[in-house]
Amino acid sequence: MNPDTTALPLADEKHLPMPRIALSMTINGARYDIETASTATLLDVIRDQLGLTGTKKGCDMGGCGACTVLVEGRRIASCLALAASFSDAVLTTIEGIGTADRLHPLQAAFIRHDALQCGYCTPGQILSGIALLSENPRSFEEIREGMSGNLCRCGAYPGIVAAIAEVAGL
Amino acid sequence: MNPQTHVRYEAALKVTGQARYEGEVMPPGMLHAALVESPVACGEVLSVDAARAETVPGFATIVTRADSESLRPSGATALIREKAIHFHGQPVALVAASTGSQAREAARAVHVATRVQPAVTHLDQAAGAAFAPAAVGRFPAASRRGDPSRALSEAELIVRNRYTTDVNNHHPMEPHAVVCWWEDHRAVVHTSTQAVFATRASIAHAFDMPAGDIRVLSRFLGGGFGCKGQLWWPWMFWAMLASRKAGRPVRLELSRAQMFTLVGRRQATTQDLSLGFVDGRLTAIEHDVVAQTSTHADFSDSTAVYTRLLYACPNVSTAHKLVRTNEPHPVPMRAPGTAPGTFALESAMDEAAGQLGIDPLELRMRNFAAHDQESGRPWSSNRLLECYRVGAERFGWARRHERAKSKVGRWTVGFGMATTLYPAIRQACKARVRLSLDGSLVVQCGTQDMGSGTYTALGQIAADALGIPMAKVTVELGDTWLPDGPFSGGSQVTASIFPAVEAATSKLRAMLANLAVGDPGAPLGGRRPQEIEFRDEMVRGRSSNVAERLVDLLARGPADGLAAEGECAATDHQALAATGMGYGAIFVEIGVDAELGEIRVRRVCGTFAAGRILNPLLARSQFIGGLIGGIGMALHEQTVTDRATGCILGKSFTDYLIPVHADMPEFDIAMIEEDDPHLPGGVKGIGMLGTAGIQAGIANALHDAIGRRVRHLPIRIEDCLASAY
Amino acid sequence: MSGPSFRYIRAARLDDALSQGARQGATYLAGGADLLPLWKAGLAAPTEVIDISRLPLSQVSYAGDALAVGALARLSDVSAHPVVKRHHPMIAEAILASASGQVRNLATIGGNLLQRTRCTYFRTDGLACNKRDPGSGCGARRGESRHAALFGGSVGCVATHASDLAVALAALDAEISCRGLTGERRLALQDLYPLPGATTAPDTSLADGEMITAVHIDGAARFAAQSTYLKVRDRASFEFAVVSVAAALRIERGVIAEARLAAGGVAPLPWRLGRSEAALIGRAPTGEAFALAGELAVEGATPLAGNAFKVPLLHNAVIRALQTVGEGS
Repeated sequence: MNPDTTALPLADEKHLPMPRIALSMTINGARYDIETASTATLLDVIRDQLGLTGTKKGCDMGGCGACTVLVEGRRIASCLALAASFSDAVLTTIEGIGTADRLHPLQAAFIRHDALQCGYCTPGQILSGIALLSENPRSFEEIREGMSGNLCRCGAYPGIVAAIAEVAGL
Repeated sequence: MNPQTHVRYEAALKVTGQARYEGEVMPPGMLHAALVESPVACGEVLSVDAARAETVPGFATIVTRADSESLRPSGATALIREKAIHFHGQPVALVAASTGSQAREAARAVHVATRVQPAVTHLDQAAGAAFAPAAVGRFPAASRRGDPSRALSEAELIVRNRYTTDVNNHHPMEPHAVVCWWEDHRAVVHTSTQAVFATRASIAHAFDMPAGDIRVLSRFLGGGFGCKGQLWWPWMFWAMLASRKAGRPVRLELSRAQMFTLVGRRQATTQDLSLGFVDGRLTAIEHDVVAQTSTHADFSDSTAVYTRLLYACPNVSTAHKLVRTNEPHPVPMRAPGTAPGTFALESAMDEAAGQLGIDPLELRMRNFAAHDQESGRPWSSNRLLECYRVGAERFGWARRHERAKSKVGRWTVGFGMATTLYPAIRQACKARVRLSLDGSLVVQCGTQDMGSGTYTALGQIAADALGIPMAKVTVELGDTWLPDGPFSGGSQVTASIFPAVEAATSKLRAMLANLAVGDPGAPLGGRRPQEIEFRDEMVRGRSSNVAERLVDLLARGPADGLAAEGECAATDHQALAATGMGYGAIFVEIGVDAELGEIRVRRVCGTFAAGRILNPLLARSQFIGGLIGGIGMALHEQTVTDRATGCILGKSFTDYLIPVHADMPEFDIAMIEEDDPHLPGGVKGIGMLGTAGIQAGIANALHDAIGRRVRHLPIRIEDCLASAY
Repeated sequence: MSGPSFRYIRAARLDDALSQGARQGATYLAGGADLLPLWKAGLAAPTEVIDISRLPLSQVSYAGDALAVGALARLSDVSAHPVVKRHHPMIAEAILASASGQVRNLATIGGNLLQRTRCTYFRTDGLACNKRDPGSGCGARRGESRHAALFGGSVGCVATHASDLAVALAALDAEISCRGLTGERRLALQDLYPLPGATTAPDTSLADGEMITAVHIDGAARFAAQSTYLKVRDRASFEFAVVSVAAALRIERGVIAEARLAAGGVAPLPWRLGRSEAALIGRAPTGEAFALAGELAVEGATPLAGNAFKVPLLHNAVIRALQTVGEGS
């Protein structure tokens, strides 16, 4: 950790440099060694610094779920996670779930049920859904409650729940 | 052509996170921008001092009103050229820096001196200064037929009430973003817009440059709902000016909080509505609307416009007025006009039904308008009565009396219904199709897909016309380098692209047919081109089994394949021989726990007559999405302004509630097919239909459940709470 | 979004954290679920962020009907913990009614208790708020007051406490352990939250650098079979309470022997309804007794223009919660 370095020259000595820190993380099976601002969130690092733009920024305040990623299989709002605090974490983003020719069963179910429109909330819905599936939801009602942290403005909710229910075998 | 259930064209890209939205484009050397906002709602900017901001590490440049003087004056540049502050949070400068956090830190360090003036922060405060707008959309602001005041005085029953709707914000999940740069004198602008061509035109005008030197791209759009239009342009211009000043690409993305202030809103309305009845028939309607607009421009939804034509009634007057407040400017939002307008009209019809002792559904059927009484024209098609009948049957409306006020667990159940409608309109559009030697097809149109299925519709129309599977079709859109396409909004994109793509593909079909019959040695050689049809990647004789593979045919043509363009001209909707409207009947079951004030929608049946349905899978999603938007407007959404300061309170999804998964009712969607000879391809818009009507349906169901009539939106705990305590 | 820059320090040991946290401008980071939104909105501007999330303070232990939950335990882990589910289901209910799955996986017990008010005047930089900016006034009192307090407010502040968990804990007489440079102390959860004054409205009675290390519930498992957490809100999930009620009864031979009631969304702290509790003791768990508890619950309420509906709502919610609990008898 080296909090007192800066990538850019100081324009004025009176102003403190922006502290930076070094982190390493495993994302989708690949190890990343990153230097970033001490203030960066996981979302900032994943999306802007590493260019893994499948993780979306919908509100940046933990209120919409578009930035959902998995940490050791558990879903979190990456916009609320200070990156520094997650050094050495093992993360999964939408890019690690499946590809167009090798879709995850939930991704395939999303397509069949037309569980998306504009698609902006979709990666978060899918990651949240995968985490929820590991909690074994037993009813549509449990799926709806469990997915309520993922907002969708187009209104694809019924398709999303149908897709998760199908994969859950409900 | 039968409706085809194709899955969403771009779905695989979206479910894998590979669809790249325009704010995610990352050119090398890109700067990040942040806006400096006015801390007051009304006044004037005296000075902007960036001295401290310039010392923030990474600071690159600042753009203020002074820089905007290089832009040509227009409505789109007024807010950034003038000193006046019109609303709380209005940007007064844009700062660009190496990183987003540096830009925001620098923006915080900018010192803005203002002269503060008293602000008008609520509709009521200036109601006396209400004025009539020049027009409401493409309609006159006021209308009158017959003599409504006399008819009201002679009516057996008058239902006269005030209905109000609150401010809503669009909140697409993707906040607005622009990534822009200059290549010599040319501009490249990646931005989340519902209208790449209008955006290009706005840039061309503001920067006084040829449209040909500007490329605007919007290939994936994370929703729009009406807010990704012109109100975004001033801030986008500033990002472009910053890019020019710094000589580097610039990205500006709005925060969720700024989505409350900078990109428009659904205006609040106060609606005075009087209905007069004789013998259960409407004899008079007066519908007067007062709505909010900003202090810098006029905007009025067409709130009372549809009251002119939904029901048969000889005496109708409608009027719209506006009140200026120091609040953000309103723009169209999901079912503009029809959502607030039908809330009033369809609530009032329910109230009338109750007072007349007539079933609300029966009252509506009895007052069905067999033609457009406002213009005197016939409907292009109108199967609203069928919607009523089918919807009532599917929903079980007849069980209304036995079910009403019944309890399911803690919920008292109520049934309600309402009508929805939206005009079928279209715009000018061009499209290009290109068939390669391998039989693959590229379809191009510059319009954009905000999530409504435009990629799929474009591909599907072309694929079906040429007998090619969707797997062999590539669709390109959202780019001003492509043929001119319409803006995304008003439920008219599919209706606009359909004739253009049909025109392009019919040219291509003619070329292929000529090729097929032109070679005497080929299977179809010597036949008449009119006999040729296209199926399963083959050209066939219509009356025989003789066929030739498309690829074999193409091999005889030009080496770079075949291409054609099609076009449909702009439509003068007022001059058409028939009025095109889509309709729907919405039936709603709600549960209300009056002791706790909680209300939940349990079941919705939407039956829609909206012309020909191209793709039932995607159409169903559109209807359901609209209904969910309507539930939000009815029960959750409210933008709250602090009257003392004009500042919007709770600019977050924590405070501005939209429906979540757990709020979802059971949906039953039925589509009544229409064969509309007046509309190209028989296509009407469907996107807006679901979003209107349901608000009144919910209010009517609440009344059915507990006898409480709520005449404002949103309906919340305090409105449903039993006051027995 | 982002706020001003800060130094990030990961505390290696509790003692280090306590001295780092006591420095001026320092703040603790546990889950970040409240701190990050505050910082992004410019409402918190620490110069140093002391990350305590990896300190060993996340155990849940249960011995002799004494539950101890480490302050750094994640909400989701606590709500899923078998001991919590069995002996204190009301806590699990309150947690599961809070936020969303992806927030509960981040947020910690201590952080949840220390979350700052959702009052929109507090949450909007620049508006009058004595809690954020002492002496600036209270915009909510004369402005939009739907979410304002019915009890315990002052002329200077009518903000409510937003935690669901705190309401359930208050009903169970929870105590918290706190550590600071001067040592450890244990206090009733209620005593963590001071009432607002005329121009100031501090959130807690914690000293600079002091942190919550654990939450204790002693001897309350007897309520496990008859307790509930009722949360009333505008939408079905993922929303702070408009009003909530934690209720627990112990009924012996058809008579209420013990009653616990606390309300959320109505006061600057989880609001114990002592008079309602007292009135229930010795009565049969009937509608009549519950109605009396409901009436007593709202005695002394001082509603404003926008929140008057919360008076009947609280009344009804108390009755409903008691009915739900009483059904088990």
